[in-house]
Amino acid sequence: MLIKLLNTLLMVVVALSITGVINRTRAVLAGRRGTRFLQHIYNVRLLLRKGAVYSTTTTILFRIAPCVYLGAALMAFLFIPIANLEPLFSFHGDIILVAYLLAFSRFALILAAMDTGSSFEGMGAAREALYGALVEPALMMGLATLALFCGDSSFAEIFSQGQVVNINFTVVLLLVAYIFVMIMFIEGGRVPVDDPKTHLELTMIHEVMCLDYSGVDLAMIQIAGWLKNSIFAVIAANAVSAVFCFHWEFAAPLAILGAGLSVGIVESLRARNKLSRNTTYILTISALSALVLLVGFLLIQDINI
Amino acid sequence: MYLYSLLAAIIIALVIFLVPKRYKVWAATGVVSLVALAAMAVAVMAFMGETVELVKFTTPFFGEESLAVDKLSALMLVIISVASVATVLYSRGYVEGYLKRFSEAHISMHYTALVTLVVSMMLVVMSSGGFSFLFAWELMTIASFMLILFEADRQEVRRAALNYLVMMHIGFLFLVVGFVMLFNVAGSANFSAINDYYEHANLLPLFVVLFIGFGMKAGLFPMHIWLPEAHPAAPSHVSAIMSGVMIKTGVYGIIRIMQVENLEGDMLFTIGLIVLVSGAVTGLWGVIFAAMQNDVKRLLAYSSIENIGVILIGLGIAAVGHAAGSPLVGMCGMCGALLHMVNHSLFKTMLFFSAGNIYSKMHTTAMNQMGGLAKHMPITAIMMLFATVAICALPPLNGFVSELLIYIGMFNGVSSGYEVLYSVTGIIVLSLIGGIVVLAFTKLYSVVFLGSPRSHHVAECTEVDNLRIAAMCIPAAFILMIGLAPQYIILPIADVAEQVTNSVNTIAVKHFAPTLSALSYVSIAFVVVVVLLYVIKRSAQRNRVVSEGPTWGCGFTAVNTRMQYTGESFSEGLENIGKPLMKNTVDGRAVDKDEIFPMPHRYRIRHNDKIDSLLGRWWVQMMHRINEYVMRLRTGKVNNYITFALLFFVVVLILTLCGVL
Repeated sequence: MLIKLLNTLLMVVVALSITGVINRTRAVLAGRRGTRFLQHIYNVRLLLRKGAVYSTTTTILFRIAPCVYLGAALMAFLFIPIANLEPLFSFHGDIILVAYLLAFSRFALILAAMDTGSSFEGMGAAREALYGALVEPALMMGLATLALFCGDSSFAEIFSQGQVVNINFTVVLLLVAYIFVMIMFIEGGRVPVDDPKTHLELTMIHEVMCLDYSGVDLAMIQIAGWLKNSIFAVIAANAVSAVFCFHWEFAAPLAILGAGLSVGIVESLRARNKLSRNTTYILTISALSALVLLVGFLLIQDINI
Repeated sequence: MYLYSLLAAIIIALVIFLVPKRYKVWAATGVVSLVALAAMAVAVMAFMGETVELVKFTTPFFGEESLAVDKLSALMLVIISVASVATVLYSRGYVEGYLKRFSEAHISMHYTALVTLVVSMMLVVMSSGGFSFLFAWELMTIASFMLILFEADRQEVRRAALNYLVMMHIGFLFLVVGFVMLFNVAGSANFSAINDYYEHANLLPLFVVLFIGFGMKAGLFPMHIWLPEAHPAAPSHVSAIMSGVMIKTGVYGIIRIMQVENLEGDMLFTIGLIVLVSGAVTGLWGVIFAAMQNDVKRLLAYSSIENIGVILIGLGIAAVGHAAGSPLVGMCGMCGALLHMVNHSLFKTMLFFSAGNIYSKMHTTAMNQMGGLAKHMPITAIMMLFATVAICALPPLNGFVSELLIYIGMFNGVSSGYEVLYSVTGIIVLSLIGGIVVLAFTKLYSVVFLGSPRSHHVAECTEVDNLRIAAMCIPAAFILMIGLAPQYIILPIADVAEQVTNSVNTIAVKHFAPTLSALSYVSIAFVVVVVLLYVIKRSAQRNRVVSEGPTWGCGFTAVNTRMQYTGESFSEGLENIGKPLMKNTVDGRAVDKDEIFPMPHRYRIRHNDKIDSLLGRWWVQMMHRINEYVMRLRTGKVNNYITFALLFFVVVLILTLCGVL
């Protein structure tokens, strides 16, 4: 039980600090002094104390959607172990549940965005629906690769082996980590695919979907975003630490620093894709994950070609 | 036996024809409920013990046959009973709008056909095969043909119905050929004779022939083209029962022919591969086209095709898993497929009922005329949202349970090294389907119910009558039950799977029970968390200013409802990817880029299946051409006709003289 609590606590720490690392990295690379490390938490606390303005076009669905969005992300979050720790919930086949809970959160936000009747939010919703559909195979194949190595289909079982895997699998596991970081970029609305800081609503994806949210609702959506980021960051960090040192003391800081630094650096160094190139970009990641799975399969079966 | 069934049919028809116009629906409801009750009783008996044999009789062509209910038939009987009772209850409200327009005989025909459809579907799943099976199958086709023809004064309805009839008879021909092949080798045309056939001959040709015949009914690619034509033409409750239940009889047939004792090794593997690949193609094709449609019922029809694909993926994985020597993978796939059959019959009837509610108020199924209906039809909106979540296979509801089982089978295949490549193919296809389904159904729901109205008709819509809502609650209750307590539902399903795969279900029960009961707790926890979050949110807002205002237009103030995202624009991204699959028909002209002051434009686009023109139209054109030649002979002069008769006799005479005849 204590291990489960430790795991949940660590997950919360990871979720809260990734955004801080991203902001600090961006500030340092841009030569700014930047905000405090915990500024994003203060911002959300501020939002939690505010009232709200709801559009007259919307129905009750618009008010429930943030709760579903956060609730689904929270449930998924509780299934993720850090390295060899035990997660709060776990059962055989939970990796599929996590993927579908994340799909549910996306579903809720798409409907909420369409509920406002705004053309901008419709734009965001349509793009999110398409990108979400295309990234799903990448996510599933990444999970299938992990299942292939560890012989099970629940997160706790996969990562409970508590040992460093065969050195032959290094490249495959590193690529799996890369795929999960990429999925984090896409699901979290980060730079090569989406730009949270863009000044133009026409080119936004995730941010434009929450244009009509304010106060508590917006805070819920932001918290859910942190949770989702941490899910992918921790899976990626677990894959990496399965190569080097499979222990939570290694995996937890790696999740924070790895995810935070990669997002921060990518956002500082490169511009976002042209929107029309995004589908190709995402399909490339899916193709890569199919390739990784195939290579992993060949390695496991000891087939030489 | 046939005499008795004929008598029963005549009595039922007489009852429905004699009752006054307004009460015909109640006569039909009474008959259907009685039949459903009896079927349920038999099904329960079959689930409790061994196969229940009802009657045995000799048929003129294929020898001894019987009506018997084993566990698979019992499952089908349950599916049929639930959906048909809901359908007949729903039909009252839907048909009421037509009572003035149509004559008494027309309404009677409709209800007689409805009852006949229900009874014939039950006969199909009870029949042991051969003549009685084909008889019931044909009865089912004709009854559904009559039902599609309800609004026969519309030309597109007549065309769709005829198209359906012809396609079904092509399928029927394959079935007849298959049963004759079976009879020739095994000496009996019962499904159980396939065991003998397998011992004496190569199973594959028989399997392919019957697979095509059943696939025509199930809507497998490329034989799916009748579905998106027939469903928009048929009244909604008919679409519901056809899409929810009738196409499942095709899947039932496929399961029956896969159920062969001692079938293992390469043959089972080949069969599994055929089923898996056709399921994958059907599923992907269906879902991509579902996402492209701008018509509510066409979208739902394509989504049925997609769900049949998912079921076949499960069946294929089951067969491949068994062939590779992993009963666990086999059980997972089979249980997933069977449960998905049940699930699809529930949420698809609900979705078609919702579509019927919309159609009876809006008098159109074109999505882009709607918008904001949730404010005018709140209960329909909630019901449809419920069914949408279920069909998107999202966690707390039933769709997820069946897809989870199929996924577990495939992940087990991957992690234990049984046929990894096929499992991976299944995972890729199923996850892609899962993603695009969310796109398709968020599009459907949000364009119809959310946002602001796109035409002034929306303002005149009101909620439908209570009976229709009650009818929708029947499937809803089952959806909730399967979603929240899957660990109990899986027990009978595992029994059926055990019977179908000839294996022992202890693995399944041992393996699924903990997973599914954990899932049930997590599902309930999820619902509780969402409710709690909502309560917390409300209490956080209690002492704050919560106000209402117009949607934020990003600084633009002259917003109007035409600027909203439409169905077409919502799926534009996917359209760019799926372009090679479709043939677009464009009506009108889009606004050019260099039109600075655009005039009003009329623009309609329809995404048609390429298969449609490739497969569905050629026979129409061929018939036209042949008809042209034949028409030249029809001169209208008596002396010409006498010449033809004379020529015929001369030909017969010559042939006889040459010894040919």
